[in-house]
Amino acid sequence: MALRPYWKGYLKLSLVTCPVSMMPATSEAEKVRFHTLNKETGNRVVSQYIDSVTGKPVKDDDEAKGYARGENDYVVLTDDDLDAVALDSVKTIDIDKFAPDDSIEWVYLERPHYLMPDDPVGHEAFAVIRDAMKADKVVGISKLVIGRRERAVVLEPRDDGIVLWSLRFGDEVRPEENYFEDIEAEADKEVVPLVQKLIKQKIARWSPDMVSDPIQDALLKLIEQKKKQLKLKKTAKGKKAETAPASNVVNIMDALRKSVEADLKKKKAS
Amino acid sequence: MTQLNRIGCVLCEEFDMAGQRAQWKGFIKLGEVSCGVALYTAASTSERITFNTINTATGNRVNRVFIDSDTEEPVPKEAQTKGFEIENGQYIIIDPGEVAATIPESNKTLEVESFIPCSDVDDVYFDKPYYLTPDRMGTDAFAALRDGMRKSKVAAIARTVLFRRMRTVLIRPHGKGLIATTLNYDYEVRSSKKAFEDMPKIKIQGEMLDLAKHIIATKKGEFDPAAFDDRYEAALAELVKAKIEGKALPKRKKVEVSKPNDLLAALRESAGLGKTKEDKPKRTAANANKGAGRQRSARGAASKTASSKAAPQRKAG
Repeated sequence: MALRPYWKGYLKLSLVTCPVSMMPATSEAEKVRFHTLNKETGNRVVSQYIDSVTGKPVKDDDEAKGYARGENDYVVLTDDDLDAVALDSVKTIDIDKFAPDDSIEWVYLERPHYLMPDDPVGHEAFAVIRDAMKADKVVGISKLVIGRRERAVVLEPRDDGIVLWSLRFGDEVRPEENYFEDIEAEADKEVVPLVQKLIKQKIARWSPDMVSDPIQDALLKLIEQKKKQLKLKKTAKGKKAETAPASNVVNIMDALRKSVEADLKKKKAS
Repeated sequence: MTQLNRIGCVLCEEFDMAGQRAQWKGFIKLGEVSCGVALYTAASTSERITFNTINTATGNRVNRVFIDSDTEEPVPKEAQTKGFEIENGQYIIIDPGEVAATIPESNKTLEVESFIPCSDVDDVYFDKPYYLTPDRMGTDAFAALRDGMRKSKVAAIARTVLFRRMRTVLIRPHGKGLIATTLNYDYEVRSSKKAFEDMPKIKIQGEMLDLAKHIIATKKGEFDPAAFDDRYEAALAELVKAKIEGKALPKRKKVEVSKPNDLLAALRESAGLGKTKEDKPKRTAANANKGAGRQRSARGAASKTASSKAAPQRKAG
């Protein structure tokens, strides 16, 4: 699949700069998505902007972002204006620090992105930064404006590219002491070896099979069935099938529930 | 949608001693051992700057209304329902109550299915972290599981119905407690192999690698994410001020990309080794006014030209 880059800019280490592009490592594109429908007509419900004073619909071209200066007083900001904000971290990931690769607490990892060179001119410079981090077992620390916030980011070399993690802010991570302070500091020394024995029996290699989604699988199966049913109906009646009647919908739910339960049982059994 | 589910599904209203509200209460089970546990949100998302949408034709704010895509009539909340698209423009209506009914009965148990070596953990799957704590009765079993995992250097993989989905969580020791991170589903994570497959295979060795390692050595340190500050809001306020006063908007420096031919020179200069070609600086001269740490790394770089095989193995994407 060809993926659209989501950000383009520069990666910089001291006097070395190369053009890069970035995309999120996660995506909701494959997720079964529900839409809002109008019960009465079965049509999609869509949002529309209307002028708060005149009550008339607003043309797409007339919509702009407004920064509230006072009550009912807005400074209009275009995308070009926003792009001109005076922070180098809007366009440049300048690595200003390196830390040991296991030193960033997992709890701070917010969202992963894949970072890669965006132009052949930068292939070698990108590779130099990546391979040196690999060789030294370090991650790069920088900052980047993502979604109207400037976040600390961590760069970890991976395969031929770099994974860029945006990090959470200090005030986004709750202090662990509030939760952990009353827990026993040390376990019974005689019990721990037994636990380790159990662990050994259950040790496994990481596999993406561990993160399957039985509910989504059941939904997908049903959508397939539903499509077939609609096709049959179409050929039988020789006209466009309408939205499924309510009685049918109930059966779908029963079937869904059953397939999810069956899948869970199968998982447990295996 | 997930956000709504999460908010709508706070099952537990009880507060513990610390005055925090548990997101979930249930059990963790390993073989025949189980103990009562609770999950607490470890991280929240703080506000970012929001803008109002303005109608530039009138300067007024706009309101959002929901209309029927065909009739263009407003659709009141009561008439809205959920459905999924099966073909272009064809939808199956499902009542939200019925969607809820598809979620399997929860046994409220985080059943440990396997343990994976910590080095095997693929962090790209990480979704949200939760603090996992024992109830009063379960603290012995909890501590035993925690210490066993720490000694064996493993993380646990457990599954349960959480926030109305069947979720996999990765559990690992953290201080006196455990942290459970929900993992993204297989279909939500893009393969890094695929993302990077079009890149040319370049392996950097020799002087370039040594110089880059030398630069890294000068920038090595500790990093505390908690101490990081967001400068965006202040920069935006500056921008708005300039715009109101009709001044020229602030300009960023133009970025200059290193040319492939200049890369070695740029690395040399960055490493503080000067850019003159014929007059190769001697190590001692370059280090005369620098700290000892720097001297050490320079020597290391020079003597270990062929030692790049130490690159850590990364797991498959």
